[in-house]
Amino acid sequence: MISIENLRYRNLAIDALTIRPGITTVIGPNGSGKTTFLKICAGIILPDSGTIVVDDAPPRQTDIGWVNEYPDRNLLFVNVADEIASPLRFRHDTCDSVDSAMKSCAETMVITHLLTRTVRELSGGEKILVSLAAALVHHPTVLILDEYDSHLDAHVKEKNEQIIRSSGAKYIIRCTQQMDTATQSDHVLFFDNGRVRHDGTPDQVFPFLKGTAYYPLLWGC
Amino acid sequence: MGVLIIRITLNRVHAIRDDWSLSASGTLDEGVHLVSGDVGSGKSTLALMIAGLFPLSGGSIEKEGITSTMLSLQFPELHVTGLTVAEECTSWGVSPDDILGTTGLTGKRDVSPLSLSRGELNRLHLACILAKNHDLLLLDEPFSSLDCEEKAKLCTRIGQTSQGITIIFTHEQEILPRVTRIWEIVDGMLVDCGTPPDAFQNWHHVPSIIEKLTALGSIPDNLSLDDLKEAACRIRG
Repeated sequence: MISIENLRYRNLAIDALTIRPGITTVIGPNGSGKTTFLKICAGIILPDSGTIVVDDAPPRQTDIGWVNEYPDRNLLFVNVADEIASPLRFRHDTCDSVDSAMKSCAETMVITHLLTRTVRELSGGEKILVSLAAALVHHPTVLILDEYDSHLDAHVKEKNEQIIRSSGAKYIIRCTQQMDTATQSDHVLFFDNGRVRHDGTPDQVFPFLKGTAYYPLLWGC
Repeated sequence: MGVLIIRITLNRVHAIRDDWSLSASGTLDEGVHLVSGDVGSGKSTLALMIAGLFPLSGGSIEKEGITSTMLSLQFPELHVTGLTVAEECTSWGVSPDDILGTTGLTGKRDVSPLSLSRGELNRLHLACILAKNHDLLLLDEPFSSLDCEEKAKLCTRIGQTSQGITIIFTHEQEILPRVTRIWEIVDGMLVDCGTPPDAFQNWHHVPSIIEKLTALGSIPDNLSLDDLKEAACRIRG
């Protein structure tokens, strides 16, 4: 479990929240605190007060895979192959194992044709696929995706949905503005103005959003 | 006096890079055009070519009656020149007071545009661009990072554009405006799918919701939320 208690960071306030293993999707208006929440889960920022623990360890002592909502902010290296290999090199894996893990990750994600390119030559969607590969290559416990799907077409998104689900990440926490995607989650959190307004399964949360643009179209008129 | 015609003609336009290529032919008349295509298929490259910012390997682009062109890049952060949100508005030649009120960013007047969430930055960027009329408006992934309410508002705004050519390059599948014509890039070629609703039959990238509604025997008239809701309600009676 990921357990959050009395958490405060600027205008974000969560008194108590439990995230179970599986896919948790965070939805809500722009500026409601979704990205801040994801950054706290990733350990990128520390709360002003309160606690967050991932299976009893703080996020900074947990293996995290992270994809930023700004595609260019994910990319540190010039070449795609170096970018994907970087998390393994940072933890001093041997050269041979880095190379084979990087290639096998690229194969799984069907992006081997990008390995010889520079990151500058990539399209927006390709940048996100490379960032996702770099987030998955070290088999993280928690995979965090900040609106990564806003750059992907439907076919690629569907394929990546399978890859993410079979990645072995115990917790997948993502935010999206695609409600079709949000309905395919174990757990949905609706954020508004720095608070978790609704929390539960899609069937529990979406009825509260009826009449808004967040209500899935196919769920009725 | 004749009626002024606004039109773009793509004459065997071609771009090549290594093992990738894009070919485009066709005529775009006034109205809202949607261009879809897979990741890396060349949507952004086509937008740049039409804007005159990417060299053609072959062919030509003919523009009639177009005196002003605006290209909104896929990454709004690449447009930022102001150090504050207010300066950013001024750099587009629009009044910060007008823009900040409508975008809900009044409290962020003096912060750096790059400290906004990506959705907020895109909202600011689009408001600045849409504050003026353009004969040719090219929008590359304009819905990216916008929340559902903002996407719907943008669609309404695009729907109010009564003149000129608007071309939307996107893979958005849920919240779209009513469009005049649908195009897609398939196997390196720009394909004219036609006008909705007939275009839905020829469209490889047809949104899954339209596929589902069609399978249930209810074909929406167009792509807008109202069209989809109307079709969904037809099923439920």
